[in-house]
Amino acid sequence: MIHRRLEAFLEKRRRTLIGVGPMSLNCVDAAIELASEHDIPMLLIASRRQVDSAAFGGGYVNNWTTAQFARYVIDRDKKGKVLLARDHGGPWQNTQEIANNLSLRRAMESAKASFKADLEAGFQVLHIDPSVDIHSRPDVDEVLDRAFELYEFCWAEASKLGQEVIFEIGTEEQSGSTNTQEELVYTLDAMQTFCKQNRLPSPSFVVIQTGTRVMEMRNVGSFDSPIRVAGELPAEIQLPKMIEICGRYKVFMKEHNTDYLSDESLQWHPRFGIHAANVAPEFGVAESRALVRVLREHRLDALADGFLEMALASRKWEKWMLPDTKATDEERAIIAGHYVFGHDRCREIKEEAAAHLRNHHIDLELHLKEQVKSSILRYLVHFRLARVA
Amino acid sequence: MSKVAAIVLNRNLPEVTDRLCGHLQRHDGDLCDVFVVEAGSDADQLSRHTTWHADWPEAKAHGLRYSRGMNFGLSQLWRDGRFGEYRAFFLLTNDTELSDRPTVAPLLQVFDDHPRLGLLSPCSKRWGERLLLGKEPIKYFWFIHNNAYLLRREFVETIMDVETPDFMNFLFDGTNFRGFGNESELIAKAYVNDWAAGITSSVWAEENEAYLLDRADLIKTEGYQKNLALYVEEGRRWMRKKYGFNSRWSLQQYVKAFYDRFFELHPEYSRFRI
Repeated sequence: MIHRRLEAFLEKRRRTLIGVGPMSLNCVDAAIELASEHDIPMLLIASRRQVDSAAFGGGYVNNWTTAQFARYVIDRDKKGKVLLARDHGGPWQNTQEIANNLSLRRAMESAKASFKADLEAGFQVLHIDPSVDIHSRPDVDEVLDRAFELYEFCWAEASKLGQEVIFEIGTEEQSGSTNTQEELVYTLDAMQTFCKQNRLPSPSFVVIQTGTRVMEMRNVGSFDSPIRVAGELPAEIQLPKMIEICGRYKVFMKEHNTDYLSDESLQWHPRFGIHAANVAPEFGVAESRALVRVLREHRLDALADGFLEMALASRKWEKWMLPDTKATDEERAIIAGHYVFGHDRCREIKEEAAAHLRNHHIDLELHLKEQVKSSILRYLVHFRLARVA
Repeated sequence: MSKVAAIVLNRNLPEVTDRLCGHLQRHDGDLCDVFVVEAGSDADQLSRHTTWHADWPEAKAHGLRYSRGMNFGLSQLWRDGRFGEYRAFFLLTNDTELSDRPTVAPLLQVFDDHPRLGLLSPCSKRWGERLLLGKEPIKYFWFIHNNAYLLRREFVETIMDVETPDFMNFLFDGTNFRGFGNESELIAKAYVNDWAAGITSSVWAEENEAYLLDRADLIKTEGYQKNLALYVEEGRRWMRKKYGFNSRWSLQQYVKAFYDRFFELHPEYSRFRI
């Protein structure tokens, strides 16, 4: 039913679905509102670091547990346009599982518990990604075996709950390098055989590397690059091949790390037939930028500095830095801003700022939400999901 | 067996150029004649192997870049009546670095094995394409971004401009100065005319960008980033004006359409399709 609904939506008009990372409360609200305003299905793609079950201590986004997050979205999504999606579910995809140095079996149990909580909360799309392993480098067959185990588990749990669910597969990593055609064909072949043998539905989405890679506040992959990126296949070659393969297997192609691509590149997504694309950190950055800008414009520099210092100190920017980075401290802080929105001190800063801005007839949270909406809207327009006069 | 004409493009880097020419003569001397185009080089920065010197004021001020430089070399061979002596033309920028072994013979062997191949590029260890080649020494592509191409003479004859055989028109479109998109146009012209374009791992070649990054002042070009911006800006303007394409993706799809048709006409080459 979910798959059929998405298929019908995509068949009606050439367009690309968007998966929005729930980077903050405002980002979640922005996504729900846009989906409703434009009458389009929208995926809210929560990673386990962003939102996880209470057993794992929740996530950094609004300190939500899976159940709280799902309840919040379901209650506000009046038209039922939002699809709750787990992004990169699997072993060691939660920081606690890494910190506790869990063994493979324990990490798989933990991943299953997280997926179970997702299903109980009403998640409808599960991305099964067992590619992370902190103890070894599993080969493609080992990764597939783990994917099969999780897939079967999730389907059985969903059936028990009478919960409809569709799946996304793909051993995606932010390497930007190339999944070879052979690897993709091998994975899709193995998955289809497994599903047929076990009478399970085939996955709806497969993650494809199209040459997108996010570092700092730009996309450094080959998709948007007019020149070669060392070690990578030019997007001119990679993309048509991947699309061809996905078409052959009748699976929706999902692009990850789509953030910061140029308008021109985004406009080509529906033309190429890319079925869906995930965008996440860009929306967090849009909100952090908007926050600092409005504070500075109203001479609330101490509050802006307080927010930036806190974000910088979190060191959450580290994984986004290019090796030869020239990013300033402020830029690093902006990159990490959304990770601290849920901290008490940040809430205090925003409350103090909101009180001051109210005197200038500015509703701070509304203002920030509008900025995030405008950032998401760029994608909706170029993906032919929204018509703007 | 008739020879290959290797045309090396130099601008103010004589040692680098001489090293490449020396390499070609040492490893491939029996199979190729080496020609050097001086793309507006200063008089004291000429290669020992200089053949032709583009020394008119505009060339001295701005250089020729790949398209105009190769057009210049090829058109000089044409004017000198030597064009027909060669079975193929190996077009190289001076920053090309080849393996320490013969290059031309393995490339010609690929041409012998693939009679519809009009354009051949050595692969680079830094390219993702090597993954697609796998165990095959050659595959046919619709997109090849390189500065080292071997062109079969018959292919060049199919498309060359003999009415205005000069540095602006002979093979590449010289109006697109820095050349963004020119290689795609060349490949489109190949497939349109029933010729294929391939990448081979029989030979490896690397482009040493350090010269462009660190010696831009000597080459008398803009800094790397500015040059890149101009390269894209001019190329986009060119493809819009010439084809009405507003994106590199339009050009790419245009080439790919002819690529796909080639295999409809030549199913016997399907195993070389990527």
